Amino acid sequence: MSFFQALRAFFREAAVNLARGWKVSLVAILTITVSLFVGGAFLLVSGNLLASVERWRGEMRIVVYLQPAMAEPVVRQLAAELGRGPGIAAVQVVSAEAARQRFQEAFPSLSDLVEGMGDEPLPPSLEIALADPARRTPELRAFLAGWRQRPEVSMVDDDREWLGQLETVVAVLRAVGLALGVGLLVAAVFTIGSVIRLTAYLHSDEISILRLVGATEFYIRGPFYAEGFLQGLIGGLLATGILWSGSAFLRFRSPDALLTQLFAAEFLTPGEAAALVGLGAAAGLFGAIASLRRERLTVTEEQAAE
Amino acid sequence: MIQFFQVTKRYPGGQTALDRVSFDIARGQFVFLTGASGAGKTSLLRLIFREDVPSEGQILVNGRNVSSIPPQKIPYLRRTIGVVFQDFRLIPRKTVFENVTYLPRILGTDLTSQKKLAYQALRRVGLAHRLNAFPLELSGGEQQRVAIARALINEPEILIADEPTGNLDPDLSWEILRLFLEVNLRGTTVLLATHDREMIQRVGRRVLTLDAGRLILDQELPGSDPPRLDLTPPEAFENDPAAARETAEEAAE
Repeated sequence: MSFFQALRAFFREAAVNLARGWKVSLVAILTITVSLFVGGAFLLVSGNLLASVERWRGEMRIVVYLQPAMAEPVVRQLAAELGRGPGIAAVQVVSAEAARQRFQEAFPSLSDLVEGMGDEPLPPSLEIALADPARRTPELRAFLAGWRQRPEVSMVDDDREWLGQLETVVAVLRAVGLALGVGLLVAAVFTIGSVIRLTAYLHSDEISILRLVGATEFYIRGPFYAEGFLQGLIGGLLATGILWSGSAFLRFRSPDALLTQLFAAEFLTPGEAAALVGLGAAAGLFGAIASLRRERLTVTEEQAAE
Repeated sequence: MIQFFQVTKRYPGGQTALDRVSFDIARGQFVFLTGASGAGKTSLLRLIFREDVPSEGQILVNGRNVSSIPPQKIPYLRRTIGVVFQDFRLIPRKTVFENVTYLPRILGTDLTSQKKLAYQALRRVGLAHRLNAFPLELSGGEQQRVAIARALINEPEILIADEPTGNLDPDLSWEILRLFLEVNLRGTTVLLATHDREMIQRVGRRVLTLDAGRLILDQELPGSDPPRLDLTPPEAFENDPAAARETAEEAAE
Protein backbone atom coordinates (compact mmCIF):
# COMPACT_ATOMS: atom_id res chain seq x y z
CA MET A 1 0.00 0.00 0.00
CA SER A 2 1.46 3.33 -1.04
CA PHE A 3 1.74 6.22 1.40
CA PHE A 4 -1.02 8.19 -0.32
CA GLN A 5 -3.31 5.16 -0.49
CA ALA A 6 -2.73 4.71 3.24
CA LEU A 7 -3.47 8.40 3.94
CA ARG A 8 -6.70 8.17 1.99
CA ALA A 9 -7.69 5.05 3.93
CA PHE A 10 -6.81 6.73 7.25
CA PHE A 11 -8.90 9.82 6.57
CA ARG A 12 -11.83 7.74 5.35
CA GLU A 13 -11.68 5.64 8.52
CA ALA A 14 -11.25 8.76 10.67
CA ALA A 15 -14.24 10.44 9.05
CA VAL A 16 -16.37 7.38 9.75
CA ASN A 17 -15.18 7.32 13.37
CA LEU A 18 -15.95 11.03 13.76
CA ALA A 19 -19.43 10.53 12.38
CA ARG A 20 -20.10 7.49 14.57
CA GLY A 21 -18.74 9.03 17.78
CA TRP A 22 -19.74 12.61 17.05
CA LYS A 23 -20.83 13.40 20.60
CA VAL A 24 -17.42 12.66 22.05
CA SER A 25 -15.66 14.30 19.13
CA LEU A 26 -17.81 17.40 19.53
CA VAL A 27 -16.32 18.05 22.96
CA ALA A 28 -12.81 17.99 21.55
CA ILE A 29 -13.77 20.11 18.55
CA LEU A 30 -15.52 22.73 20.69
CA THR A 31 -12.59 22.91 23.09
CA ILE A 32 -10.20 23.66 20.29
CA THR A 33 -12.72 26.06 18.72
CA VAL A 34 -12.94 28.06 21.94
CA SER A 35 -9.18 28.21 22.42
CA LEU A 36 -8.52 29.27 18.85
CA PHE A 37 -11.42 31.72 18.93
CA VAL A 38 -10.01 33.43 22.02
CA GLY A 39 -6.50 33.51 20.58
CA GLY A 40 -7.81 34.65 17.20
CA ALA A 41 -10.04 37.33 18.75
CA PHE A 42 -7.10 38.84 20.61
CA LEU A 43 -5.06 38.68 17.41
CA LEU A 44 -7.84 40.40 15.49
CA VAL A 45 -8.42 43.14 18.06
CA SER A 46 -4.74 43.84 18.64
CA GLY A 47 -4.10 43.79 14.90
CA ASN A 48 -6.81 46.35 14.27
CA LEU A 49 -5.64 48.50 17.18
CA LEU A 50 -2.10 48.39 15.88
CA ALA A 51 -3.32 49.36 12.43
CA SER A 52 -5.11 52.33 14.00
CA VAL A 53 -1.96 53.25 15.88
CA GLU A 54 0.01 53.09 12.66
CA ARG A 55 -2.54 55.29 10.93
CA TRP A 56 -2.50 57.83 13.76
CA ARG A 57 1.26 57.74 13.89
CA GLY A 58 1.41 59.09 10.36
CA GLU A 59 -0.97 61.91 11.31
CA MET A 60 0.39 62.86 14.71
CA ARG A 61 1.96 66.18 15.42
CA ILE A 62 3.52 68.15 18.18
CA VAL A 63 1.64 71.34 19.00
CA VAL A 64 3.14 74.21 20.98
CA TYR A 65 0.34 76.35 22.45
CA LEU A 66 1.42 79.94 23.09
CA GLN A 67 0.12 82.45 25.61
CA PRO A 68 -3.09 84.23 24.49
CA ALA A 69 -2.99 87.65 22.82
CA MET A 70 0.54 87.30 21.61
CA ALA A 71 1.60 89.68 18.85
CA GLU A 72 1.90 88.14 15.40
CA PRO A 73 5.57 89.15 14.80
CA VAL A 74 6.52 87.45 18.05
CA VAL A 75 4.62 84.35 17.00
CA ARG A 76 6.44 84.29 13.65
CA GLN A 77 9.79 84.77 15.37
CA LEU A 78 9.03 81.87 17.72
CA ALA A 79 7.97 79.72 14.73
CA ALA A 80 11.26 80.44 12.97
CA GLU A 81 13.20 79.57 16.11
CA LEU A 82 11.22 76.36 16.59
CA GLY A 83 11.82 75.36 12.96
CA ARG A 84 15.55 75.14 13.63
CA GLY A 85 15.06 72.41 16.26
CA PRO A 86 16.45 68.86 15.75
CA GLY A 87 14.32 66.61 13.50
CA ILE A 88 11.74 69.30 12.81
CA ALA A 89 10.72 69.42 9.16
CA ALA A 90 8.23 72.32 9.23
CA VAL A 91 6.34 74.58 11.59
CA GLN A 92 2.88 75.87 10.80
CA VAL A 93 1.52 78.92 12.57
CA VAL A 94 -2.12 78.65 13.63
CA SER A 95 -3.34 82.05 14.71
CA ALA A 96 -5.96 82.52 17.43
CA GLU A 97 -8.51 83.41 14.77
CA ALA A 98 -7.66 80.31 12.68
CA ALA A 99 -7.92 78.15 15.80
CA ARG A 100 -11.41 79.49 16.48
CA GLN A 101 -12.49 78.84 12.90
CA ARG A 102 -11.16 75.30 13.08
CA PHE A 103 -13.09 74.71 16.29
CA GLN A 104 -16.29 76.02 14.76
CA GLU A 105 -15.84 73.79 11.70
CA ALA A 106 -15.06 70.73 13.75
CA PHE A 107 -17.85 71.27 16.28
CA PRO A 108 -20.60 73.30 14.61
CA SER A 109 -23.03 72.65 17.43
CA LEU A 110 -20.61 74.18 19.93
CA SER A 111 -19.67 77.19 17.80
CA ASP A 112 -21.70 79.49 20.05
CA LEU A 113 -19.26 78.83 22.83
CA VAL A 114 -16.48 80.76 21.09
CA GLU A 115 -18.66 83.54 19.61
CA GLY A 116 -19.03 86.99 21.07
CA MET A 117 -16.38 86.67 23.73
CA GLY A 118 -14.53 89.82 22.64
CA ASP A 119 -10.95 88.63 22.58
CA GLU A 120 -10.09 85.47 20.74
CA PRO A 121 -10.85 82.64 23.20
CA LEU A 122 -8.29 80.18 21.84
CA PRO A 123 -4.53 80.76 21.95
CA PRO A 124 -2.32 80.82 18.86
CA SER A 125 -0.25 77.72 18.33
CA LEU A 126 2.67 76.30 16.39
CA GLU A 127 2.17 72.88 14.77
CA ILE A 128 5.38 70.95 14.27
CA ALA A 129 5.77 68.39 11.48
CA LEU A 130 8.63 66.00 12.11
CA ALA A 131 11.02 64.62 9.51
CA ASP A 132 10.29 61.15 11.01
CA PRO A 133 6.91 61.28 12.78
CA ALA A 134 7.47 57.98 14.57
CA ARG A 135 10.78 58.90 16.19
CA ARG A 136 11.51 61.05 19.20
CA THR A 137 15.25 61.47 19.48
CA PRO A 138 16.74 62.42 22.87
CA GLU A 139 17.82 65.74 21.30
CA LEU A 140 14.24 66.51 20.25
CA ARG A 141 12.87 65.52 23.66
CA ALA A 142 15.41 67.81 25.37
CA PHE A 143 14.60 70.59 22.92
CA LEU A 144 10.84 70.31 23.63
CA ALA A 145 11.47 70.14 27.38
CA GLY A 146 13.27 73.47 27.08
CA TRP A 147 10.31 74.98 25.23
CA ARG A 148 7.91 73.82 27.94
CA GLN A 149 9.79 76.09 30.38
CA ARG A 150 9.59 79.21 28.24
CA PRO A 151 7.23 82.01 29.42
CA GLU A 152 5.70 82.51 25.93
CA VAL A 153 4.54 78.84 25.93
CA SER A 154 1.46 77.68 27.81
CA MET A 155 1.62 73.98 26.82
CA VAL A 156 3.45 71.53 24.54
CA ASP A 157 1.16 68.71 23.39
CA ASP A 158 2.85 65.64 21.92
CA ASP A 159 0.50 62.98 20.35
CA ARG A 160 3.36 60.54 20.62
CA GLU A 161 2.98 60.36 24.39
CA TRP A 162 -0.55 58.96 24.46
CA LEU A 163 0.09 56.93 21.34
CA GLY A 164 3.00 55.29 23.14
CA GLN A 165 0.67 54.45 26.03
CA LEU A 166 -1.81 52.96 23.57
CA GLU A 167 0.94 50.88 22.00
CA THR A 168 1.81 49.53 25.44
CA VAL A 169 -1.86 48.64 26.02
CA VAL A 170 -1.98 46.83 22.67
CA ALA A 171 1.23 44.93 23.47
CA VAL A 172 -0.20 43.87 26.84
CA LEU A 173 -3.46 42.91 25.16
CA ARG A 174 -1.60 40.80 22.62
CA ALA A 175 0.50 39.12 25.32
CA VAL A 176 -2.58 38.34 27.42
CA GLY A 177 -4.34 36.97 24.35
CA LEU A 178 -1.34 34.88 23.45
CA ALA A 179 -1.02 33.48 26.97
CA LEU A 180 -4.75 32.78 27.19
CA GLY A 181 -4.80 31.23 23.72
CA VAL A 182 -1.78 29.03 24.45
CA GLY A 183 -3.27 27.94 27.78
CA LEU A 184 -6.56 27.04 26.16
CA LEU A 185 -4.76 25.35 23.27
CA VAL A 186 -2.85 23.14 25.71
CA ALA A 187 -6.18 22.22 27.32
CA ALA A 188 -7.55 21.46 23.86
CA VAL A 189 -4.58 19.24 23.07
CA PHE A 190 -5.23 17.26 26.25
CA THR A 191 -8.94 17.00 25.46
CA ILE A 192 -8.25 15.74 21.95
CA GLY A 193 -5.69 13.32 23.38
CA SER A 194 -8.26 11.93 25.82
CA VAL A 195 -10.89 11.60 23.11
CA ILE A 196 -8.45 9.78 20.84
CA ARG A 197 -7.42 7.45 23.66
CA LEU A 198 -11.07 6.74 24.38
CA THR A 199 -11.72 6.08 20.69
CA ALA A 200 -8.73 3.74 20.58
CA TYR A 201 -10.11 1.92 23.62
CA LEU A 202 -13.54 1.62 22.00
CA HIS A 203 -11.88 0.14 18.92
CA SER A 204 -9.55 -2.19 20.79
CA ASP A 205 -11.35 -5.25 19.41
CA GLU A 206 -10.73 -4.11 15.88
CA ILE A 207 -7.14 -3.17 16.67
CA SER A 208 -6.46 -6.68 17.96
CA ILE A 209 -7.82 -8.11 14.69
CA LEU A 210 -5.75 -5.71 12.64
CA ARG A 211 -2.68 -6.78 14.57
CA LEU A 212 -3.58 -10.43 14.12
CA VAL A 213 -3.89 -10.21 10.35
CA GLY A 214 -0.60 -8.35 10.01
CA ALA A 215 -1.26 -4.62 10.09
CA THR A 216 1.77 -2.45 10.80
CA GLU A 217 1.86 0.10 13.64
CA PHE A 218 1.63 2.86 11.03
CA TYR A 219 -1.55 1.35 9.62
CA ILE A 220 -3.07 0.81 13.08
CA ARG A 221 -2.27 4.27 14.45
CA GLY A 222 -2.83 6.21 11.22
CA PRO A 223 -6.63 6.52 11.49
CA PHE A 224 -6.34 7.84 15.06
CA TYR A 225 -3.78 10.45 14.02
CA ALA A 226 -6.02 11.42 11.11
CA GLU A 227 -8.95 11.73 13.51
CA GLY A 228 -7.03 14.09 15.82
CA PHE A 229 -5.94 16.10 12.80
CA LEU A 230 -9.52 16.35 11.54
CA GLN A 231 -10.86 17.38 14.95
CA GLY A 232 -8.27 20.15 15.16
CA LEU A 233 -8.88 21.21 11.59
CA ILE A 234 -12.64 21.43 12.11
CA GLY A 235 -12.07 23.37 15.36
CA GLY A 236 -9.75 25.78 13.55
CA LEU A 237 -12.20 26.27 10.70
CA LEU A 238 -15.07 26.87 13.13
CA ALA A 239 -13.07 29.41 15.16
CA THR A 240 -11.98 31.27 12.04
CA GLY A 241 -15.51 31.15 10.65
CA ILE A 242 -17.04 32.55 13.84
CA LEU A 243 -14.43 35.31 13.99
CA TRP A 244 -15.04 36.21 10.37
CA SER A 245 -18.82 36.22 10.87
CA GLY A 246 -18.56 38.39 14.00
CA SER A 247 -16.22 40.82 12.31
CA ALA A 248 -18.37 41.00 9.17
CA PHE A 249 -21.51 41.47 11.30
CA LEU A 250 -19.95 44.44 13.12
CA ARG A 251 -18.90 46.03 9.85
CA PHE A 252 -22.36 45.46 8.36
CA ARG A 253 -24.34 46.58 11.41
CA SER A 254 -22.40 49.71 12.37
CA PRO A 255 -19.58 50.36 9.94
CA ASP A 256 -18.77 53.84 11.31
CA ALA A 257 -18.88 53.01 14.99
CA LEU A 258 -15.64 53.62 16.87
CA LEU A 259 -15.67 50.04 18.18
CA THR A 260 -15.92 48.68 14.64
CA GLN A 261 -13.13 50.93 13.48
CA LEU A 262 -10.95 49.97 16.40
CA PHE A 263 -11.57 46.24 16.57
CA ALA A 264 -13.02 44.99 13.31
CA ALA A 265 -12.04 47.38 10.53
CA GLU A 266 -10.03 44.60 8.91
CA PHE A 267 -10.28 40.80 9.25
CA LEU A 268 -7.20 38.64 9.70
CA THR A 269 -4.93 38.38 6.68
CA PRO A 270 -5.31 35.14 4.66
CA GLY A 271 -1.97 34.02 6.08
CA GLU A 272 -3.10 34.62 9.68
CA ALA A 273 -6.43 32.86 9.08
CA ALA A 274 -4.65 29.91 7.49
CA ALA A 275 -2.19 29.83 10.39
CA LEU A 276 -5.10 29.73 12.86
CA VAL A 277 -6.68 26.78 11.04
CA GLY A 278 -3.29 25.09 10.66
CA LEU A 279 -2.60 25.57 14.35
CA GLY A 280 -5.83 23.77 15.16
CA ALA A 281 -4.96 20.87 12.87
CA ALA A 282 -1.43 20.69 14.26
CA ALA A 283 -2.74 20.75 17.84
CA GLY A 284 -5.14 17.91 17.03
CA LEU A 285 -2.43 15.83 15.41
CA PHE A 286 -0.05 16.50 18.29
CA GLY A 287 -2.74 15.55 20.83
CA ALA A 288 -3.36 12.26 19.02
CA ILE A 289 0.34 11.41 18.73
CA ALA A 290 1.06 12.34 22.33
CA SER A 291 -1.91 10.39 23.69
CA LEU A 292 -1.01 7.18 21.83
CA ARG A 293 2.76 7.47 22.25
CA ARG A 294 2.94 5.00 25.08
CA GLU A 295 -0.13 2.97 24.20
CA ARG A 296 0.40 -0.48 22.74
CA LEU A 297 -3.10 -0.22 21.29
CA THR A 298 -4.01 -3.80 21.84
CA VAL A 299 -5.98 -5.98 24.18
CA THR A 300 -4.84 -8.87 26.25
CA GLU A 301 -6.20 -12.33 25.67
CA GLU A 302 -8.25 -12.00 28.85
CA GLN A 303 -9.78 -8.69 27.73
CA ALA A 304 -10.51 -10.08 24.31
CA ALA A 305 -12.20 -13.10 25.80
CA GLU A 306 -14.49 -10.94 27.95
CA MET B 1 7.23 -25.62 8.28
CA ILE B 2 6.81 -25.21 12.05
CA GLN B 3 9.68 -26.35 14.25
CA PHE B 4 9.90 -26.14 18.03
CA PHE B 5 13.27 -26.79 19.67
CA GLN B 6 13.18 -27.28 23.44
CA VAL B 7 10.71 -24.44 23.86
CA THR B 8 9.86 -23.34 27.37
CA LYS B 9 7.41 -20.61 28.23
CA ARG B 10 7.25 -19.23 31.74
CA TYR B 11 4.95 -16.39 32.72
CA PRO B 12 6.04 -13.63 35.11
CA GLY B 13 4.10 -15.21 37.99
CA GLY B 14 6.39 -18.24 37.72
CA GLN B 15 3.82 -20.51 36.06
CA THR B 16 5.32 -22.73 33.38
CA ALA B 17 3.00 -22.96 30.40
CA LEU B 18 5.33 -25.00 28.18
CA ASP B 19 8.21 -27.13 29.27
CA ARG B 20 10.95 -28.08 26.76
CA VAL B 21 8.55 -28.78 23.90
CA SER B 22 10.02 -30.00 20.61
CA PHE B 23 8.26 -31.05 17.42
CA ASP B 24 8.36 -30.53 13.68
CA ILE B 25 5.32 -30.03 11.46
CA ALA B 26 5.94 -30.47 7.75
CA ARG B 27 4.39 -28.34 5.03
CA GLY B 28 0.87 -29.46 4.19
CA GLN B 29 0.32 -31.53 7.35
CA PHE B 30 -2.90 -31.52 9.36
CA VAL B 31 -2.11 -31.71 13.07
CA PHE B 32 -4.35 -31.77 16.10
CA LEU B 33 -3.03 -30.21 19.28
CA THR B 34 -4.84 -31.57 22.27
CA GLY B 35 -4.73 -31.64 26.03
CA ALA B 36 -6.83 -30.62 28.99
CA SER B 37 -7.64 -26.99 29.73
CA GLY B 38 -4.48 -25.26 30.94
CA ALA B 39 -2.22 -27.82 29.27
CA GLY B 40 -0.53 -25.06 27.24
CA LYS B 41 -2.28 -25.30 23.87
CA THR B 42 -3.07 -21.60 23.56
CA SER B 43 0.39 -20.61 24.80
CA LEU B 44 1.94 -22.79 22.12
CA LEU B 45 -0.21 -21.32 19.35
CA ARG B 46 0.51 -17.75 20.50
CA LEU B 47 4.21 -18.41 20.15
CA ILE B 48 3.81 -19.41 16.49
CA PHE B 49 2.27 -16.13 15.37
CA ARG B 50 4.57 -14.19 17.70
CA GLU B 51 1.89 -12.96 20.04
CA ASP B 52 4.33 -14.07 22.70
CA VAL B 53 8.01 -15.05 22.88
CA PRO B 54 9.47 -18.22 24.40
CA SER B 55 11.44 -18.00 27.63
CA GLU B 56 13.86 -20.60 26.27
CA GLY B 57 14.33 -22.52 23.05
CA GLN B 58 13.85 -21.67 19.40
CA ILE B 59 10.85 -21.63 17.09
CA LEU B 60 11.19 -21.69 13.32
CA VAL B 61 8.21 -20.87 11.14
CA ASN B 62 8.86 -21.27 7.46
CA GLY B 63 12.58 -21.22 8.22
CA ARG B 64 12.41 -17.94 10.17
CA ASN B 65 13.29 -17.78 13.84
CA VAL B 66 10.19 -16.04 15.15
CA SER B 67 11.65 -15.14 18.54
CA SER B 68 14.33 -13.01 16.94
CA ILE B 69 12.09 -11.24 14.42
CA PRO B 70 12.27 -7.48 15.06
CA PRO B 71 8.90 -6.01 16.09
CA GLN B 72 8.45 -4.11 12.83
CA LYS B 73 8.71 -7.38 10.88
CA ILE B 74 6.08 -9.26 12.91
CA PRO B 75 3.17 -8.07 10.71
CA TYR B 76 4.83 -9.65 7.67
CA LEU B 77 5.05 -12.99 9.49
CA ARG B 78 1.38 -12.77 10.49
CA ARG B 79 0.28 -12.16 6.93
CA THR B 80 1.41 -15.72 6.14
CA ILE B 81 -0.55 -17.23 9.03
CA GLY B 82 -4.31 -17.42 9.34
CA VAL B 83 -5.66 -17.60 12.87
CA VAL B 84 -9.11 -18.72 14.02
CA PHE B 85 -10.33 -18.46 17.61
CA GLN B 86 -13.03 -20.12 19.63
CA ASP B 87 -14.84 -16.80 20.12
CA PHE B 88 -14.68 -15.90 16.40
CA ARG B 89 -13.36 -12.37 17.05
CA LEU B 90 -15.59 -10.73 14.49
CA ILE B 91 -16.29 -7.00 14.75
CA PRO B 92 -20.03 -6.70 15.34
CA ARG B 93 -20.33 -3.20 13.83
CA LYS B 94 -18.78 -4.30 10.53
CA THR B 95 -20.44 -6.32 7.81
CA VAL B 96 -19.26 -9.78 6.84
CA PHE B 97 -17.52 -8.24 3.83
CA GLU B 98 -15.69 -5.72 6.01
CA ASN B 99 -14.77 -8.42 8.50
CA VAL B 100 -13.17 -10.68 5.95
CA THR B 101 -11.31 -8.01 3.96
CA TYR B 102 -9.07 -6.61 6.69
CA LEU B 103 -5.90 -8.11 5.21
CA PRO B 104 -6.59 -7.08 1.58
CA ARG B 105 -7.28 -3.54 2.80
CA ILE B 106 -4.01 -3.49 4.73
CA LEU B 107 -2.20 -4.67 1.63
CA GLY B 108 -3.76 -1.86 -0.41
CA THR B 109 -5.77 -4.18 -2.63
CA ASP B 110 -8.20 -2.25 -4.80
CA LEU B 111 -11.90 -2.52 -4.09
CA THR B 112 -12.67 -4.67 -7.11
CA SER B 113 -10.06 -7.22 -6.08
CA GLN B 114 -11.30 -7.05 -2.49
CA LYS B 115 -14.78 -7.96 -3.68
CA LYS B 116 -13.41 -10.84 -5.69
CA LEU B 117 -11.30 -12.16 -2.81
CA ALA B 118 -14.16 -11.80 -0.33
CA TYR B 119 -16.53 -13.59 -2.64
CA GLN B 120 -14.07 -16.43 -3.20
CA ALA B 121 -13.24 -16.83 0.50
CA LEU B 122 -16.87 -16.74 1.56
CA ARG B 123 -17.87 -19.11 -1.19
CA ARG B 124 -15.40 -21.64 0.19
CA VAL B 125 -17.22 -21.52 3.51
CA GLY B 126 -20.67 -21.41 1.92
CA LEU B 127 -21.51 -17.86 2.92
CA ALA B 128 -21.15 -15.87 -0.28
CA HIS B 129 -24.79 -14.86 0.05
CA ARG B 130 -24.27 -13.24 3.50
CA LEU B 131 -21.80 -10.52 2.51
CA ASN B 132 -24.09 -7.73 3.67
CA ALA B 133 -25.02 -9.32 6.97
CA PHE B 134 -23.66 -8.22 10.32
CA PRO B 135 -22.10 -10.92 12.53
CA LEU B 136 -24.90 -10.80 15.08
CA GLU B 137 -27.38 -11.71 12.36
CA LEU B 138 -25.51 -15.00 11.82
CA SER B 139 -25.60 -18.29 13.73
CA GLY B 140 -22.55 -19.39 15.73
CA GLY B 141 -21.49 -21.78 12.98
CA GLU B 142 -21.86 -19.08 10.35
CA GLN B 143 -19.84 -16.65 12.43
CA GLN B 144 -17.04 -19.19 12.75
CA ARG B 145 -17.15 -19.76 9.01
CA VAL B 146 -16.77 -16.01 8.47
CA ALA B 147 -13.78 -16.06 10.82
CA ILE B 148 -12.31 -18.91 8.75
CA ALA B 149 -12.94 -16.97 5.56
CA ARG B 150 -11.08 -14.04 7.09
CA ALA B 151 -8.16 -16.31 7.92
CA LEU B 152 -8.17 -17.82 4.42
CA ILE B 153 -8.65 -14.73 2.31
CA ASN B 154 -4.98 -14.31 1.48
CA GLU B 155 -4.27 -18.05 1.04
CA PRO B 156 -2.06 -18.34 4.14
CA GLU B 157 0.67 -20.97 4.31
CA ILE B 158 -0.35 -21.91 7.82
CA LEU B 159 -3.78 -21.99 9.43
CA ILE B 160 -3.90 -22.05 13.22
CA ALA B 161 -7.15 -22.66 15.07
CA ASP B 162 -7.60 -22.42 18.81
CA GLU B 163 -10.63 -24.49 19.86
CA PRO B 164 -12.58 -23.37 16.79
CA THR B 165 -15.49 -25.69 17.64
CA GLY B 166 -15.50 -24.96 21.36
CA ASN B 167 -18.62 -22.80 21.19
CA LEU B 168 -20.50 -24.89 18.65
CA ASP B 169 -22.84 -27.84 18.87
CA PRO B 170 -21.60 -31.21 17.50
CA ASP B 171 -23.22 -30.87 14.05
CA LEU B 172 -21.74 -27.44 13.50
CA SER B 173 -18.40 -28.68 14.85
CA TRP B 174 -18.25 -31.30 12.11
CA GLU B 175 -19.09 -28.68 9.55
CA ILE B 176 -16.22 -26.49 10.70
CA LEU B 177 -13.80 -29.41 10.90
CA ARG B 178 -14.72 -30.37 7.38
CA LEU B 179 -13.73 -26.89 6.26
CA PHE B 180 -10.32 -27.20 7.89
CA LEU B 181 -9.75 -30.55 6.18
CA GLU B 182 -10.65 -29.03 2.83
CA VAL B 183 -8.29 -26.14 3.42
CA ASN B 184 -5.58 -28.66 4.24
CA LEU B 185 -6.28 -30.55 1.02
CA ARG B 186 -5.40 -27.37 -0.87
CA GLY B 187 -1.91 -27.47 0.66
CA THR B 188 -2.28 -25.24 3.72
CA THR B 189 -0.61 -26.51 6.87
CA VAL B 190 -3.25 -26.74 9.60
CA LEU B 191 -2.66 -26.84 13.34
CA LEU B 192 -5.93 -27.21 15.22
CA ALA B 193 -6.11 -27.12 19.00
CA THR B 194 -9.02 -28.97 20.55
CA HIS B 195 -9.86 -31.01 23.59
CA ASP B 196 -12.56 -32.92 21.74
CA ARG B 197 -11.10 -36.44 21.85
CA GLU B 198 -14.05 -37.92 19.98
CA MET B 199 -13.45 -35.64 17.00
CA ILE B 200 -9.77 -36.55 16.95
CA GLN B 201 -10.46 -40.27 17.21
CA ARG B 202 -12.94 -40.13 14.37
CA VAL B 203 -10.90 -38.03 11.97
CA GLY B 204 -7.46 -39.39 12.79
CA ARG B 205 -4.37 -37.48 11.53
CA ARG B 206 -1.34 -36.53 13.56
CA VAL B 207 -2.00 -35.63 17.20
CA LEU B 208 0.27 -33.72 19.59
CA THR B 209 -0.83 -34.13 23.20
CA LEU B 210 0.18 -31.65 25.88
CA ASP B 211 -0.08 -32.22 29.59
CA ALA B 212 0.88 -29.51 32.07
CA GLY B 213 3.03 -27.83 29.43
CA ARG B 214 4.90 -30.97 28.35
CA LEU B 215 4.50 -32.74 25.03
CA ILE B 216 3.66 -36.24 26.20
CA LEU B 217 2.51 -37.83 22.97
CA ASP B 218 3.11 -37.32 19.24
CA GLN B 219 1.19 -39.97 17.35
CA GLU B 220 -0.43 -40.63 13.99
CA LEU B 221 -4.02 -41.89 14.35
CA PRO B 222 -5.98 -43.73 11.68
CA GLY B 223 -9.40 -42.33 10.94
CA SER B 224 -11.79 -41.22 8.26
CA ASP B 225 -12.93 -37.84 7.03
CA PRO B 226 -16.34 -36.72 8.26
CA PRO B 227 -19.15 -36.83 5.71
CA ARG B 228 -18.98 -34.02 3.17
CA LEU B 229 -21.39 -31.23 3.96
CA ASP B 230 -23.25 -29.22 1.43
CA LEU B 231 -21.70 -25.78 1.70
CA THR B 232 -22.68 -24.60 -1.73
CA PRO B 233 -24.49 -21.27 -1.84
CA PRO B 234 -28.28 -21.23 -2.14
CA GLU B 235 -29.67 -22.44 -5.42
CA ALA B 236 -30.47 -18.99 -6.68
CA PHE B 237 -26.82 -18.03 -6.40
CA GLU B 238 -25.57 -21.25 -7.95
CA ASN B 239 -27.83 -20.73 -10.95
CA ASP B 240 -27.00 -17.08 -11.24
CA PRO B 241 -23.34 -16.30 -10.50
CA ALA B 242 -23.90 -12.73 -11.67
CA ALA B 243 -26.39 -12.21 -8.83
CA ALA B 244 -23.81 -13.47 -6.36
CA ARG B 245 -21.22 -11.08 -7.74
CA GLU B 246 -23.71 -8.22 -7.50
CA THR B 247 -24.35 -9.08 -3.87
CA ALA B 248 -20.60 -8.99 -3.27
CA GLU B 249 -20.34 -5.62 -4.94
CA GLU B 250 -23.26 -4.22 -2.98
CA ALA B 251 -21.63 -5.35 0.22
CA ALA B 252 -18.40 -3.70 -0.80
CA GLU B 253 -20.17 -0.46 -1.56
